[in-house]
Amino acid sequence: MKLGVVRAYMLKEFRELLRSRLIVIVYLLPTMIVILFGYGIRMEVTHARTLVIDNDQSKLSRELADGFMHSRYFDTTEAHITEKEALRRIKNARTDILVIIPEGFERRILHGVGTEIGVFVDAAFPIRGETMSNYVKGVVYDAASRLLPEAPEKLVTIDSRNLFNQAMRDEDAIVPGLLGLIMLVAPAILSALLIVKEKEEGTIFNFFSSPVRKSEFLVAKLTPAFLLHSVNIFILFLWATWLFQVPFRGSFALFWFASELYVLVSLGVGLLVSIITRTQIVAIVLTIIITIIPGFLYSGMLMPISSMSGESKIEAHIYPVMYYNHIVYDTFLIGQGLASPKIQLYLLILLLYGIGLVLLGSWLMKKELR
Amino acid sequence: MRVFGSLVMKEIVAFFRSWGLVAVVLYSFTLDIYIAGKGIEMQAKNVSVGYVDETGGGISNKILSRLHAPEFQKPVRFLNQKALYDAIRNREIMVGILFDGDFEKTLERSGRAQLNILIDAISATQSYQALQYLQNILLDFSDLKVPVALKIHKLFNQNARTEWFMALAEMLSVITLLGVILTAAVFVKEKENGTWDLMLLMPVDPKLVILAKSFSQVLILMFGVVLATGLVLFGAFDTPINGSLWAFFLLSFFYSFTSAGIGLFVAAVSRSMLQVAQLAILIMMPLIFLSGAWTPIHAMHPWLQKLSLLSPLRYYIEGSESIFFRGTPFADLWVYFAGVIVLGGALYLYGFRKIGRLF
Repeated sequence: MKLGVVRAYMLKEFRELLRSRLIVIVYLLPTMIVILFGYGIRMEVTHARTLVIDNDQSKLSRELADGFMHSRYFDTTEAHITEKEALRRIKNARTDILVIIPEGFERRILHGVGTEIGVFVDAAFPIRGETMSNYVKGVVYDAASRLLPEAPEKLVTIDSRNLFNQAMRDEDAIVPGLLGLIMLVAPAILSALLIVKEKEEGTIFNFFSSPVRKSEFLVAKLTPAFLLHSVNIFILFLWATWLFQVPFRGSFALFWFASELYVLVSLGVGLLVSIITRTQIVAIVLTIIITIIPGFLYSGMLMPISSMSGESKIEAHIYPVMYYNHIVYDTFLIGQGLASPKIQLYLLILLLYGIGLVLLGSWLMKKELR
Repeated sequence: MRVFGSLVMKEIVAFFRSWGLVAVVLYSFTLDIYIAGKGIEMQAKNVSVGYVDETGGGISNKILSRLHAPEFQKPVRFLNQKALYDAIRNREIMVGILFDGDFEKTLERSGRAQLNILIDAISATQSYQALQYLQNILLDFSDLKVPVALKIHKLFNQNARTEWFMALAEMLSVITLLGVILTAAVFVKEKENGTWDLMLLMPVDPKLVILAKSFSQVLILMFGVVLATGLVLFGAFDTPINGSLWAFFLLSFFYSFTSAGIGLFVAAVSRSMLQVAQLAILIMMPLIFLSGAWTPIHAMHPWLQKLSLLSPLRYYIEGSESIFFRGTPFADLWVYFAGVIVLGGALYLYGFRKIGRLF
C-alpha cells in the first residue's frame, strides 16, 4: 500500500464531499434524527382528551369526575350529550377516552350494592389504548378505595424502585437507543454512496484502469467516512446529555471506543450494499431498508431484549445493533463499564463484526468489469 | 390522451428494466411491512422476572404462581439480592421481586405488608406497564371488595394487537418513501442526461408531461398498495377493516399523487441524484415523524403540532386509521381528503412553474 496514493485519493474524496455538499447531510442528518425522534416519540400518555358524562350529578360522582380533572394525564371536559353522540366523537378522533357514570351511582354505593362505570377507550394505537385504560383504572380504584366500607383482611402493597431511570423519562429511554440507530444508518449511506456514485457516473473506470490497488482504493474511500462520522459521535453525545439531559454514568472512553467500532460495522454494511447495487437510488433505498427496521427492532428501545423469544431473539443476536446498544445504555444509564464480563464480550463481538464485514466487503469487491 | 398514455407506458417500461428497483419495491411492500408488523411490539409482554425468596414460601409461591404468560416469563429464582441485582444490571431480568424474611409474618400479624420490587426502568413504557400488571395481580390477590366495577371497552382493537397498527403505519411510510424517491429519480435522471430540455421543447404541454410521469409512478405505488393490503394486512395479519376499502384506496391514490408531488418538488430544486437523495431524506424524516404515526399529534410540542399541519402524511395516516379501525363513515372523511389534495395541488403548482418551463 503506497501512502502517497492513499493520501492523494483521500484528499480528492474530501474535496468532493465539500463540493457536492454531501458534507451537509453528514452532519445534518444525525442531528435531525436525534432531535425529531427525541422530541417526537412520546410513549408516555399525557393530556388524553377525556370526556366525562355524569348522569348521576351527585356528590360522589362529582368527586370521581374531579379525580380525572386533577390529573395531568387527562384533559377532561364534562358534557351532557348522549352516549351515541360521544361515541361519534371518538370515531372522528376528537376524543380519546369516554367515561360514563350511570344514574343512581351514589345511591347504589351508599346502599352497598355494586355499580358499573362504562369506559370507552380509543385503542386504534394499541399501546396508548392500554396505557390509557390503566390510568383510568388507577383513578377509579383510587376513588373507590376511599369509599371502601371496611378494610380488607390482608393487603399487599408495592414498594417499587425504578432503577437506572427513576423518573421513567421517555428521553432517557429513547435517546441513547437512537444513537445505535443513527450510527448504523448514516455511515452506511455515506460509504455506499461514495462508491456507487463512481459506478453510476462511470468514473470508477479510472480506478479499474489505474495502478491504484484495491486496498488503497478502499482505505481512501472509507477513511473520510470514518473520520467524518467519528465527529458525529461527539455531536450526538452532546445532544443527548445537553439537550435531552440524559445522565451519563459510565466511562466516556468506553462509549467512544465502542462507537468507533460501531461506525466501522456500519461502513462495512455500506460497502456490502455498494457491491450489489449499481445506481445511487437503489443503494440509498436498500441501505435505509436494511438498517432502519433492524435498528429499531433490535435496539432495545421499543422492546427489551430480555422480553424477546424464539426467532426474534435469534435475529436480535445476529444484528450488531443489540451489542452496541447494550454498551450505550450501560454507559449512559447503568455505569458498570468494563467490569461486567458481558460488556467485554459484546465489545469483542463488535470488533469481530466490524473487521469481518469490511474484510468480506473488500474480498467480494472486484477491480474489474462485471 | 395518446401522448399521455405513451409517456406513462415509457416510464413503466423503464421501471421494469431496472430489476434492482423492482426488487426493492416488491420487498418494501411485502416483507418489510411484514417484519415491521411482526417485530415491533410495544406492549409489555413476556417480561423477565427474577425473585429472591427469604420466606418459607407459602404466600410468596401463591403470588409468583399468578405471574404467567403472556405477560410474564416464568420467574427465575436467585439466591441473594446481589445476584438478582447483577442480573438486572446486565439487563437479563427486568423485574426483581424481593420477599423479605419477615414478609409473610408481617402480613399475617397486621394484615398489611409491603413487597419490594426492583424494576429496570430503561424501557420506561414497558416498565410502567409491568408495574401495572403486578399491581393488578396484587389487588386481585388481596381480594379487595371494591363496590365499583369498571367496564372498559377498548374500541377498535379489543385485544390491543400491535401488529395491525404497526403494519399499517409502516405501509404508509413505505408509500411516502418510494413515492418521493421514485418520482424525483424519474425527473432528475432526465435532467442529468440533458433529455429534460428536449422534453420541454417537444410540442407537448409540459404540464401533461409532468402529470404523465408522476402518474406512472402513482400506478406503481397503487399496485404496491393493493399488494400490501391484500397479502400482508389482510393475508398475514387479518387486519379488520371497519370502513370502506374503496375509500382507503381512493385516499391512497390521492396521497400517492401528493407524495409524487413532493418528489417533483425535490426534483425541481436539485441537479443530481446525489442531491435528490440528500433532500429526500431531509424532507421525509420530519414528514414521517410529524405524521402522528409514533406519537399522536395532540401530545406533541405545540409548535410541532402547527408544523404537522403541513405534513400530508398526517392526514393520510389519520384518515387510514379512521377507515381501518374507527370505521368512520365516508362523509366524515372529507377533512383528510381535503388535506391531502390541497397540499398535493400546491406542490404541483410549484413543480409546473419551476421545472415545467424552459425559460
